[in-house]
Amino acid sequence: MKVWKVSTLAVCAALAGSIASAETAIAQKGLEADMVLLPKFLGILPFDQANQGAQEAHEELGNTGDLLYTGPTPENSVAGQIEIMTTSASQKSAAVMLSNNAGEQIVPSAVAAQAAGTKVVTWDSPIPSAKGESLFIAQVDFGEIGVVMADMAHSILDGEGEFATLSATPDASNQNAWIAAMEEALKGPKYAGLKHVDIVYGNDQSEVSYNRALALADKYPNLGLIMSPTSVGIVASAKAIQDEDLCGQIKVSGLGVPAEMVTYTMNGCAPEFALWDFVDLGYLTYYTSYMLATGQIEGEAGETFNAGRMGDYTIEKDPTRDAGLRVLMGPFTVYNKDNVEAAAK
Amino acid sequence: MSTENFTSRIVKALNSWEGFLLLVLVLLFVGNTINSPFFFTLNNQINLFQLSIEKVIVAVIMTFVIINAEIDLSVASIMGFAACLFGWLFQSGVSASGAVVIVLAAGAILGAFNAFWIAWVGIPSLVVTLATMIAFRGFARVLVEDRGITGFPDWFDKLGQAPLVGPIPLSILVFFVLVFFFYIVLQRTVFGRQVYFIGSNRDVAEYSGINVRGVQAIIFTLSGLISALAGLLFAARLGAVRGDAALGFELDIITIVLLGGVSIFGGRGTMVGTLLAILIVLNLRNGMALANITGHIQTGVLGILLILSVMVPNIQEWIKKLRKLGKGTVE
Repeated sequence: MKVWKVSTLAVCAALAGSIASAETAIAQKGLEADMVLLPKFLGILPFDQANQGAQEAHEELGNTGDLLYTGPTPENSVAGQIEIMTTSASQKSAAVMLSNNAGEQIVPSAVAAQAAGTKVVTWDSPIPSAKGESLFIAQVDFGEIGVVMADMAHSILDGEGEFATLSATPDASNQNAWIAAMEEALKGPKYAGLKHVDIVYGNDQSEVSYNRALALADKYPNLGLIMSPTSVGIVASAKAIQDEDLCGQIKVSGLGVPAEMVTYTMNGCAPEFALWDFVDLGYLTYYTSYMLATGQIEGEAGETFNAGRMGDYTIEKDPTRDAGLRVLMGPFTVYNKDNVEAAAK
Repeated sequence: MSTENFTSRIVKALNSWEGFLLLVLVLLFVGNTINSPFFFTLNNQINLFQLSIEKVIVAVIMTFVIINAEIDLSVASIMGFAACLFGWLFQSGVSASGAVVIVLAAGAILGAFNAFWIAWVGIPSLVVTLATMIAFRGFARVLVEDRGITGFPDWFDKLGQAPLVGPIPLSILVFFVLVFFFYIVLQRTVFGRQVYFIGSNRDVAEYSGINVRGVQAIIFTLSGLISALAGLLFAARLGAVRGDAALGFELDIITIVLLGGVSIFGGRGTMVGTLLAILIVLNLRNGMALANITGHIQTGVLGILLILSVMVPNIQEWIKKLRKLGKGTVE
């Protein structure tokens, strides 16, 4: 009896697998769907790169509708994102691609947008409860980010020393998840010599982050490393440490853009940092959103689709959240002296 | 009434600040309607109000504060504190309806605290409310720390998000009731005239036997109460609170009131002016959003608008003076 059950399950699983793989959706080009790419705010290089990728996919797919890249100012990020979400629904846009900076506060406007027929696809930073969200395009597995950050800390500190984290905003769901994953990874025996002493927030503003980095250097005399999982924080920290001539004692690492980090990596202030390709993230987000908005995929777990030059992807349950679906992009690139110059070009 | 009299009255009305604002508003409305097919729809008109409703509610009471020749910089921090206090109370097990009552009372107390230092101790309101702006924001952040609080009861979220009467949600009804009520108070009651009188010349008002402290205490306490109400509406609309709720709103609120023709030196301005300024700012923002203009440019346009609103009355004054000078030489 037991054997029968198990074998039935196996057959079911095999069947489900074969159905999924047999039906890889290929995008039909040339349909009309007005798309909105909504970053946390404007004026940040990675978001502009994501836009570049989205524009590439927009042209490749021959969408006869518009692709609009618009966002709020940093001081007005939460209210601004809500406003743009609401206005996009009023304009009957087919999809809003959101890097969420408003935490749960975006939920009512996202739910209203969905009710009005506008799909909401998140990328870079999801809606924590997944309410009002169709899909999340995850850049890399959040658990993997944690391990990569722990590994970089381990290699820069040579296995022993104190380090602190300088994050974005306290409510940024992506950064919080990565830091949590890093702390989980740090429990492993390999990292026993590392001491994570503090987490501070620079609100993704250069000046605030710069001052927070200096404050960390003052507060912890034995600090060996500042880990900043945000492209704004890592540059500001590296600049602060270099300005104070502290690169000999305190190194900087985290997630950064090669073009902004190249000087600090070459002069040894930030010997290693990591990132995924934001152009690819924008491309994949656009591709997925286009197919969702034009009804070519339903946005259900198990669906497989082809995303142009990036190959095939499958929608799956997001293991990092209680609810929600994701498409996982991956992989990671760790940058150092050997490869940063080429990537910065 | 002769036609000549009638036209001169229209010219005079358009010459007034309110007339000018009305003209701007009509132009904006026409421009927006031509620009986007989505502008003049019921849904968009409600959204346009809803997206900034908390700010414009506070602008109504800010009109009193500034006509009184004072300022209240702490309004947005009281809004944020109210939202966070609500979230904190709710999370601590207080029923949502009980929390609403406590939050409103707390708002009035914070307002009265401002009033004490301003009216009785005599410290300038700019200084007092600058200090409490920082302090109240601090309380808000302490209450919810670095997390967001969500999961309020359905009825509370619905009050902020769903239509209540016809297609109109509660917050918009509250706004119009407050505008009407405070219009009557400001333009039709003794209290309203006292507000103007104190704003024009506080010393003379005091010598004339007006209870200056009493009037100011009422204004600042009301400012705290209404800010707390706006904070609650904010929490209900977003269905979640954070320590940065309503951060920076005070400048938008003051901008609206000054644009409405209320003099920063006190004694001048009307509720109609504030209402027109509210409609202009909301329509301008919405029109720019529908025209897909990005946040940075929107902020810039609003800044230019404020500069103009300060400059235009001055230019009108200069023209009057030049005319007088001209007459003088002829005589």
